[in-house]
Amino acid sequence: MDLKRRDFFKLIGVTTVGSALPGCEREAHNLVPYLLPDEEIIPGIANWYASYCRECPAGCGILVRVMEGRAKKIEGNPSHPLNQGKLCARGHAALQDLYNPDRLRGPMRREGPRGEGTFRPIGWEEAFSLWVSQLKAHQNRTAMISRPVRGTLAEIFSRFMKAQGGPLVLYDAGAAVNEHTANRANFGIDQWPHYDLANSTFLLSFGTPFLDDWLSPVSFGAAFGRMRQGRAGMRGRFVQIEPRLSLTAASADRWIPIRPGSEGLLALGIGQLILAHGRSQVEPSDRRKFETVYRSHPMDHIVQQTGITQDEIERLAEEFATASTPLALGGGPASSYTNSTITMQLINGLNVLVGNIGRPGGVQIYDGVQFPGNDATVQPASEQTLLEIAQAFDQGRYSLLQLYQANPLYSLPPSTGMARLFMQAPFIVSFSSYLDESTAMSDLILPDHAPLESWGDHPQNGLSGNLTVGLGQPVVEPLYDTRSVGDLFLQASHHLLDMRQDHHPLPAHPFKDRLQANWQSFLADQTSESGDTFDLAWTCRLQEGGWWTERANVQSKISSHAPSDYEPAAFAGDDKEYPFYLSLFPAMGVGRGEGSNRPWLQELPDTLTSAVWGSWVEINPKTARDHNLRSGELLRITSPHGRIEVPVVFFPGIRPDTIALPMGQGHWAYGRYATGRGVNPMSILAPLFDTRSGALATGATRVRIEGTGQLGKLALLEQRHEDKGHELITIGRRQPT
Amino acid sequence: MDNRTHKEEIQGTAQNKTGSPKPYKWELVIDLDRCTGCEACVVACHAENNVRISGEEEAAQGRAINWIRIERSWEGEYPDIKATFMPVLCQHCNNAPCEPVCPVYASYHTPDGLNAQVYNRCIGVRYCGNNCPYVARQFNWFDPQWDAPLAEQLNPDVTVRMNGIMEKCTFCVQRIRKGKETAHQEGRRVRDGEVTPACVQSCPSSALVFGDRNDPTSRVAKMVKNDRRFHLLEDLGTEPAITYLKRLT
Repeated sequence: MDLKRRDFFKLIGVTTVGSALPGCEREAHNLVPYLLPDEEIIPGIANWYASYCRECPAGCGILVRVMEGRAKKIEGNPSHPLNQGKLCARGHAALQDLYNPDRLRGPMRREGPRGEGTFRPIGWEEAFSLWVSQLKAHQNRTAMISRPVRGTLAEIFSRFMKAQGGPLVLYDAGAAVNEHTANRANFGIDQWPHYDLANSTFLLSFGTPFLDDWLSPVSFGAAFGRMRQGRAGMRGRFVQIEPRLSLTAASADRWIPIRPGSEGLLALGIGQLILAHGRSQVEPSDRRKFETVYRSHPMDHIVQQTGITQDEIERLAEEFATASTPLALGGGPASSYTNSTITMQLINGLNVLVGNIGRPGGVQIYDGVQFPGNDATVQPASEQTLLEIAQAFDQGRYSLLQLYQANPLYSLPPSTGMARLFMQAPFIVSFSSYLDESTAMSDLILPDHAPLESWGDHPQNGLSGNLTVGLGQPVVEPLYDTRSVGDLFLQASHHLLDMRQDHHPLPAHPFKDRLQANWQSFLADQTSESGDTFDLAWTCRLQEGGWWTERANVQSKISSHAPSDYEPAAFAGDDKEYPFYLSLFPAMGVGRGEGSNRPWLQELPDTLTSAVWGSWVEINPKTARDHNLRSGELLRITSPHGRIEVPVVFFPGIRPDTIALPMGQGHWAYGRYATGRGVNPMSILAPLFDTRSGALATGATRVRIEGTGQLGKLALLEQRHEDKGHELITIGRRQPT
Repeated sequence: MDNRTHKEEIQGTAQNKTGSPKPYKWELVIDLDRCTGCEACVVACHAENNVRISGEEEAAQGRAINWIRIERSWEGEYPDIKATFMPVLCQHCNNAPCEPVCPVYASYHTPDGLNAQVYNRCIGVRYCGNNCPYVARQFNWFDPQWDAPLAEQLNPDVTVRMNGIMEKCTFCVQRIRKGKETAHQEGRRVRDGEVTPACVQSCPSSALVFGDRNDPTSRVAKMVKNDRRFHLLEDLGTEPAITYLKRLT
C-alpha cells in the first residue's frame, strides 16, 4: 500500500496528467477527472493528505480532505505541535487559492507597453529559454524579491542567486522585522523565541496583535485559551496597551490607550520602577547598563508623553513585577514607528528585568532546527532593503528583477518611489500565480503551482516549544499548465552550468528529489529515526506531515544585552496642520492585501465593526461629533503625501486624536475579488522607516480629516441604528447576565 | 494532559455502554472567556457547509449568509470601554419557536435533539426565520454562484441551497451521521470528541466544545454545570442546546 502510495505521489508530483496519459483531454463535464481510476480514488470516499499551510510564514500543519481528486476542505493537523489541530480563517481559505478563478494558467509574455497589463500566453519551451537567456545576459546583475520561503526552496533560491550573482531578498509586509531586529540585539538570536503565553500569569502586551495576525495567531490563540481557562484555579491576566482597541485588545482585561509612538517610554517607566523598588533580577554586572537606560527619563516626562497617569504606570509595574510568571510582548502598532526597534528592545528588557528568560511562562530560547535553508541568510528583509535594491536598479548595478509571490508595488507607499523600480528595471520575471500589481509590471510570467499542488518543507523558525520541520506534498494534481518554481530554478541552473565553473552548481534533478535528499540527510542525523530505512521514515513523515520533537532544549545560558538608549518617534506632518495620528491595521482575513482575492475572506466580517468587502475609517464618536460627521459619511483624509476618501465607522475604542484604517484593499490588480475595492491607505503614507531595522513606519504619518457630506459605500452586517431616524420599533439586544 | 483526560473519557463511555441506551443529545458549550473573536469558525463553517458567497451588494442589503457569527457588544465609554464577543449560531432549542410555525414541517426536531431544516420540504414562507429570536435562520434570496472553478471545493456531503430556501446551522449533521454510522458498525456509542462540527474543530482557543449531553462523562455534560453558565435569552423558555460560559472580565 505504501509503495503504491508513493508511486502516486511521484506521478502527481513530477508530471501533469496531461503528459502522463497521452490522449487524456481535460474535459469539464467529466465528473471523475481520471481516465484510468487510481486505486487511491474511490468515488465518495475521502483521502486525507498531511501537509503544511503556506498562507502565512507560521507554517501550521494541515490535513487536506481530497475526494475524486479535488481538495474539499483543509483542517488543522492534530499532531502538529504549532497549531495542534486548529486552523485560522486564512488557512481554510487556501482552497480559494487553489481554485481561484483568477489564477494564471500558464506562462505569459508581456505585449504592449509595460504597465498596460496585456500578456500573451506562450509555451513553456519558449518561456524557459527566454528566461535562461535573460539570466545569461544579466549575470551578476540580477536581484530577486521573494515571499519568505524556508527549507529546500530557500536553499535553492539562495544558492541560485549566489551563483547568479545578486541579492535574494525575502519580503513580507507582516514579517515583524522590528521585533526580530530587537531580539537579535537583546539575545543575539535569529530564531523566534517561544513566548510561553499558556503558562504565563500576567501578560503585558504593548500592542502585540497575537490574536490577530502576529507570527502565529493560531498557536497564540491556543495558548491564550489555556492561559485563561486551562489551569485549575489560575486565570492569567492580560493588559493591552495601544491607541486603538484591536481584536486582540478586545480579549484583554484592561485596555490602555497610549499616545502613539510613546510605547517605549512606558516600558522605560515600568522598568525604572522595577529597578527603583529593587525587584530586578538582572546580574549585578549588567545592572548598571540597564539602570542607565531605564533611568534616562524622569517619570513626569513619561507621564506627560504617554498620556498615562503615574498611578497607572505604578500599577502596571507592580502587577508585572509581582506576578509569578509575567510576560511582556511588543508588536503591532507599537512596532509601527521610527523608534520601534528600540521600543521592542525596552520591552525585551522588561522580561530580562523580571528574570523570565528561559523560564516556563516566559521567553524561551532554543537552538534552531538544523535543516538546509534555515539559517540567518534567509531572514525577512525590511522595506528599506527593498528600496536599496530599487536604488541599485536606478544606478544600473542590477538589471534583471525576479519576483516570487511578493508584491512590493502594492505593499510599499508610493511616496517611497518603489514604482520607479518597476518602470525602469530592464527585465522583470515573475513566478507568481496571480496578476498582482507587481506581476502585472513584469515582462515574463512563469507561474508556480499552487501550494496544495507542490512539494515543500518548512523548518520552524522557533515559536513553539518543539523543533519542527513541516513537510508538504501535492494533494491534487496541478490544475493548470504551471510549473514548480523549484524545478525551474534547478533546471535553469543546469542550463547555466557551463558559465559557472567557479561555483558549486545545483544538480538538475527535480525539486522533489532535492527535497527528499535533504530529508534523507536530515533524518539520518536524528537519533529518533535511526534504525528505520529512509523509505519507511519518508513515508511516515509524509503521512504525519513532517518531523517534530516532543520538546526542545531551552538554552539556559542566554546573554541578554541591555536595550539601546531611547529615542522619540518621528512623525511626518506638522501637528497643527495634521492634528490626527493615523493607525493602520491588517484587515480581518484579508490581512495586508494578500487575502483580498479570496471571497471567503472578503466576506468575513471584521469582528469589531462587522464590515465586509471594503474599507472604512474608524473614528471616536466624540471626534465625529466635533466634526459633524455621520456614520457612513465619506471622510476625506489628507496627509502630506496624499489624500483618500473612506466611509466613517464610529468606533468607541480609539483615542480621539487617532483614526484607524484597515490595510488590504484598494488593489488595482490581483483579480476580480480584489480589484477596485476600497482604498489602500499606503497611498498616503510618508516614507519614514524605523531607524534601526529599516522597516516601514506605518504609524508615523499624521493626517487631517474633513467630512464630504456624501455617503460612502460600505456593507456592514450589523444594522446601523444611527442611520435610521424614524424607526417604528427599536430592537435592543439583551445583555447576558 | 488533554490526552489523558480524553482517554479516561473514552473508557468512561465504554463502561457506559452496558447501561440503558439513551438517545444522543448533541449540545455545545461556548466558553466566552476563551473566545477571541478570530472568526476561524466562520470560515470553517463556510467551507464545510457550502455556505454561499453573497458578494458586496447582497451583504449590504443584509442578505449575506453566516450560520455562525460573532456578535460584538461595546460596554462603557472611552477610555473605560470593553468589547465583548459572543458566537451566535442556531441554538438547537428544545422548545424551538421556529418549529411549530412551519406549514410544511420543513423545520422539525430530530430524536437527537437537533433542530433540523429539511430543504426539499421548505417552501420559503420564512415564518421560521421571523419566529427565531436568535436570528439564526437565513433565507436564500437568490441562487448561489461560484465562479469556476471555485465549485470544485464544494463538500459533496452537503446540499447546496437554492433560491427560496431557508437555511441554518445543522451542527454539521453530516459529521454526526458519519460518526454514528461508524460507532454503530463497531457496536458502540459515539465517543466523546469523535464528532466535532467544523467550527468546534477549528477554534484555536478551544472556546467551543461539542458532545453528547446524555453521556455523563462527556466534556459537555461536565461543562454545562459550570458556575459561569447561561443561555441566550434564557427567559424565553426556548431551552437552547447551547450553553454559554460567561467571560470573567
